[in-house]
Amino acid sequence: MLRTLTRVSALALTVGMGTAAAAQDTLTMWARTDVQNFLPQVVEAFNASHTTQVEVQFIPPGELVQKFATAAAGGSAPDMLSLDLIYTPAFAAAGQLADLTDIAKALPYFDQLSPAHIQAGTYDGRIYGVPFSADSSVLLWNKDLYAKAGLDPEVGPGNWAQIEEQAKAVRALGGDTYGYYFSGACAGCNAFTFLPYIWSQGADIVSADGMTATLDTPEVRGAVDIYRRLIAADAVPPSAETDTGSSFFSAFAGGNIGIATSGAFAIGILNTQYADMNYGVTYIPGPDGQPSSFGGGDNFVVTAGMEDMTAVGEFIDFIYSPEMQKLMAEFGSLPVRGDVAAQALEGLDARYGVATDAMAKGRTPSTVVYNDIYNSATGPWLQFLQESFYGDDVDGSILVAQETMQSILDGVQ
Amino acid sequence: MSQAAPAVKSRRRMGSQRRREMAGLLFVLPAMALVLVFFLIPLCMTVWMSFHNWPLMGAPRWTGLDNYAAMLKDRRFWGAMEFTIWYSIVATIAIFGVAFPLALFVERPGRATAIYRTAFFLPVVVGFGSASLLWAWFMNVDSGLFSPAAVAMGLTDEPVNLMATTDGVFWSIMVLVVWKTAGFSMILLMTGLQSVPHDIIEAAHIDGANRFQRFWRIKLQLMRRTLALALILSVAGSMLAFDQFYIISNGGPRNSTLTAVYWIFSQSFVSFKLGYGAALSMVLLVILVIISIAQLWLLRSPTGDAK
Repeated sequence: MLRTLTRVSALALTVGMGTAAAAQDTLTMWARTDVQNFLPQVVEAFNASHTTQVEVQFIPPGELVQKFATAAAGGSAPDMLSLDLIYTPAFAAAGQLADLTDIAKALPYFDQLSPAHIQAGTYDGRIYGVPFSADSSVLLWNKDLYAKAGLDPEVGPGNWAQIEEQAKAVRALGGDTYGYYFSGACAGCNAFTFLPYIWSQGADIVSADGMTATLDTPEVRGAVDIYRRLIAADAVPPSAETDTGSSFFSAFAGGNIGIATSGAFAIGILNTQYADMNYGVTYIPGPDGQPSSFGGGDNFVVTAGMEDMTAVGEFIDFIYSPEMQKLMAEFGSLPVRGDVAAQALEGLDARYGVATDAMAKGRTPSTVVYNDIYNSATGPWLQFLQESFYGDDVDGSILVAQETMQSILDGVQ
Repeated sequence: MSQAAPAVKSRRRMGSQRRREMAGLLFVLPAMALVLVFFLIPLCMTVWMSFHNWPLMGAPRWTGLDNYAAMLKDRRFWGAMEFTIWYSIVATIAIFGVAFPLALFVERPGRATAIYRTAFFLPVVVGFGSASLLWAWFMNVDSGLFSPAAVAMGLTDEPVNLMATTDGVFWSIMVLVVWKTAGFSMILLMTGLQSVPHDIIEAAHIDGANRFQRFWRIKLQLMRRTLALALILSVAGSMLAFDQFYIISNGGPRNSTLTAVYWIFSQSFVSFKLGYGAALSMVLLVILVIISIAQLWLLRSPTGDAK
């Protein structure tokens, strides 16, 4: 509806100007504010070199789904979205997205696109979302505090024993200085940073077919125990328990945290706004060092009902050009196309290399009930984290959370 | 309302009465239209939605009473309901416990009492959202007010993380709610106290009733309607509590401060199950209506004129 209107008005404009050129087409696009740092740059470059024009509107991440649903019901949905990739299955299942399988598979570099994105973007064997921006979870360590604590500032933690040992050593500096930080009351943050501790052991909290909750395993218990030991050793600041995510980044940037769970996004902010910060980036390790990561970011999706996909195809191809991959890397998104990643990262902070490699090893839960299971502040994931990290009955809490997750999974037909 | 009644012929009287009824109807028509558009139609739509599997996106599917059946097994909802009722009882007692003495204090006219009245009422005009944000900051263990102040005054050696315990969250929010809403109940109760005719009190005084008897047997009895109004508003407001818990505690720690409306919101807009959320809303509505009727019945006047 909106598209037709803009098309008509664009047509009227060109006719009015008396040009004989083909009618200009305007595509509307919505995106969450998280990508505000680089999407405008990409769109500007695209608009400058194409007759098709893209118009972007930014929406706070918490409101995007509701706003889109309302707009779709009223027939005024945007043509395209930069959508948090974890929502792709739910949107596809609801019949809101256009099938991009043919466009995607026609790309000569299709097999080089971020597997985590493609996996999350695939529903029922068809591709509804292709990678746009990428962010992987990593650990940051504060090199200055490491030096003060008598640790080697150039070597971050490589396995669980080292995390514990180094966090305690930093905590021994005393006062307000703590060894390890995570946002204890933030469901999404911990899906991003705590799931990798479970994945690195080859386990997961939901079975591969997405039908069974598998929380009650020695691997989950092991990952819980390392956090419990860090908390018991007073290596985690007390405020972490109730941090709903507001200090997810700022706690480490404050300069008195030894090791913090974080994401690639932090590299860009630290480099530009905290230039004095002397920090390192490493993988979230397993007990013996196997790295793992949550492959996050946005998928590019198209609203169902678009007939002429030519312009969309052009835009997709444009995003993956080496120039754009480099531009986005400069402004804080990891490359999503493997064969040009090295080229895109050339000359940039070497720490991006670790994050990009983590992205390649990354996994993303793909489920239509992502919000219910992981993201919800009232969901079983957060309840499990809080009770098992800070409660007295770990096994009981795990069983209760598993039961709740199972009932949610059973509700999906 | 004087009317030259007996002299007027009955036919003309009928006519004028009908005209008056028509005029009355015209006056309430705009209000009725608003109630229809903003209350009755949405209410019917909610009932209609509650019989569907109604996702936020995609097509709704008729499921009959499935949502209501699912609710019976929804332990989280009943847990939230139990918490909400407990919260409403404590909040109402606390609000009345503060508002009644305040009402007695500011009942008499005078310049000083006018200042007190304003001061006590002022928190009411602060939005619940802003007040909750303020409180969330006060409650922060590192950079807030309560814990650092307690440490600075030597009341405690260790910082107290109020957000980490159910009691910490519950009582902090209780203080916020009383601070924020007691002023409103105070004004209601004050007008109730003022509406008691002075001559009755004076007569009781002459008959030898003491201060306590005058308050308990006369004033309180004569302001039943005001009490009922203040009570129902307070209970209904507490049963629908959402903002402060959403902003301050997120229903935490560990879902222990999850209210009924929070769960409805979460089911509707986080889990995208609008139909189920609608069914939960209907049940909450019915529970609230029953509680309100019970309160009106308990506070009915012995002579039966309270409605």
